Amino acid sequence: MVSMNAVLLISFLLWSVGVAGVLIRRNALVILMCVELMLNAANLNLIAFARQAGTVNGQAFALLVMGFAAAEVAVGLALVVALYRKKGNIQVDEINLLKG
Amino acid sequence: MPSFSAGLWENLSHDIHYIWPHILLMVAATLMLWPLDSWLMPWTKAEKHKWALPTLAILVATLGLTLATPNGLGFSAMYKVDGLTKGFQVLCILGSIFAVMLSQNVLGALQEHTVEYYVLILLGTSGMLFMCGAVDLVTVYFSIELMALCIYILVAYLRHQGRSIEAGMKYFLLGAFSSGILLYGISLLFAATGGVTTNLTELNQKLALVSADKNLLVYSGVLMVLVGLCFKVAAVPFHMWAPDAYDGAPTPITAWMATAPKAASLAVFLRVFDTGFHNLSYDWTAPLMVISAASMILGNVAAIRQQSIKRLLAYSSIAHVGYMLLGVLSKDAQAGAQAVWLYMLSYLVMNTGAFAVVIYLQGKGEGERIDDFRGMGKRHPLLAFAMLIFLLSLAGIPPLIGFFGKFYLFLLAVQQGFTTLVVIALLTSAVSAYYYLEVVKQMYFKEPATEDGAECEPMDPYAKWLITAACTLVIIGTAFGPQLLKWTDDIRWFEKEAPKAAVFELPGK
Repeated sequence: MVSMNAVLLISFLLWSVGVAGVLIRRNALVILMCVELMLNAANLNLIAFARQAGTVNGQAFALLVMGFAAAEVAVGLALVVALYRKKGNIQVDEINLLKG
Repeated sequence: MPSFSAGLWENLSHDIHYIWPHILLMVAATLMLWPLDSWLMPWTKAEKHKWALPTLAILVATLGLTLATPNGLGFSAMYKVDGLTKGFQVLCILGSIFAVMLSQNVLGALQEHTVEYYVLILLGTSGMLFMCGAVDLVTVYFSIELMALCIYILVAYLRHQGRSIEAGMKYFLLGAFSSGILLYGISLLFAATGGVTTNLTELNQKLALVSADKNLLVYSGVLMVLVGLCFKVAAVPFHMWAPDAYDGAPTPITAWMATAPKAASLAVFLRVFDTGFHNLSYDWTAPLMVISAASMILGNVAAIRQQSIKRLLAYSSIAHVGYMLLGVLSKDAQAGAQAVWLYMLSYLVMNTGAFAVVIYLQGKGEGERIDDFRGMGKRHPLLAFAMLIFLLSLAGIPPLIGFFGKFYLFLLAVQQGFTTLVVIALLTSAVSAYYYLEVVKQMYFKEPATEDGAECEPMDPYAKWLITAACTLVIIGTAFGPQLLKWTDDIRWFEKEAPKAAVFELPGK
């Protein structure tokens, strides 16, 4: 059996890549992908620990998270399309009508 | 072993009486989207405003059903109905009712009435109702997201306006980011229990007993959940989306976002920190104190230099969240929940009132900037008086209802020993009086920018009732304060019981 610390390390790395991507990348689509990475890092934890304990609670949770991720992407892509129609690009640096 | 569908059916038929209000909202919203809108009531675009009335009827029915729901715990100990649930559910539904009442004129003027707008409000409300009763991190997470997805769309609802889309985009990206943090925190806590449970009551027992090598897991999990929830209530330093989202959203949605989702998120706060992490208070008290103080200070100070009334109210709502977190910090969960509820009730009334006035002025192409309030005391004496009352109440000046809420909350915090925080709260309240009174000064002591020959457009009846009722409540509310206090004393905000959550064994083990 894989050591649980290894699972935690991998999932933390995945999550950190996601966080770094959200903070560094400026393209709205790439930011969306990085958010998915963060969710999947959590899924990895949920499934690994549920498997270790022999329960299905965590696995059901992970399935629901995947469903939610799809819904979130649907809303996110709709917003990206609306933004693209209005602005002609999807760089988050260039949305700056609101400030103060 | 029963099949999956049989198990689902058994659970549902056993516990369905806890969620009739949610079912009503969801079924009604779905029916509105499909057969009703396209076949049975094919109203033209100009007639879509008729949807407001059925929506209001559904929300009022939901309010009735909510009050009639029996107390108890259901759905494998994932959803619980008790005083906290019902109290905050009522606030959420009231907030949604007010938002629908205010939407009429704005959407009419923009020719943007669609059935989806009302459907999203209903679905978002059902998410909030689930949030109030969620006692498992699974239900907490998904109900928060059900609410948030609806709000993202509503913020970007005016899709022909760059500002609205931009607000929606910013809110969405930060909201999705925060939900990633929240979920990762939940998964760490789940890992710390050894992959057994996400139930708050059980987490509370198990997390306090974990071995030393798992302390880091628990600590970072609790902090990440705290960060994720702070994003949802817009507490400093996780508030940066709030002013932009409030500013760009359609104004009725701004009024809604400032009240109903806040009430639901605070219910989650109370539930998670006072039930789930109660034994871990050493881990989260200090960070939450810092967040609360920072929200009060930054919210109030940043509001001073705002030119737009919507941004001003956004920053002031950040400050009000800072005050309400004092109630979450209280070690006496019962009194804390009561104080937060009373504060939220007064905040709901006075904030909605203030937004109603802003929305009325916006219908005439002004009201966005604070300068637009110049000379309002002469042009609309009654409206200006109502706005004066709402602003004074937001500032917490006695004898208005805002003072009552603040007084009770601060009193509780002093009793609990958070004297420093209360001193900060009092000082920043004084700061807040400055910027609220600045608007009052514009209304009464400045001449109007243009000579007032403009037509005095009649207000739509909903908004007129709403402003009148809110104003009356704000003025006479304090008189009923003692009764309200006595009445809420009798509510058992947290039912203490610890039935076992279901743990499903894997067949192979």
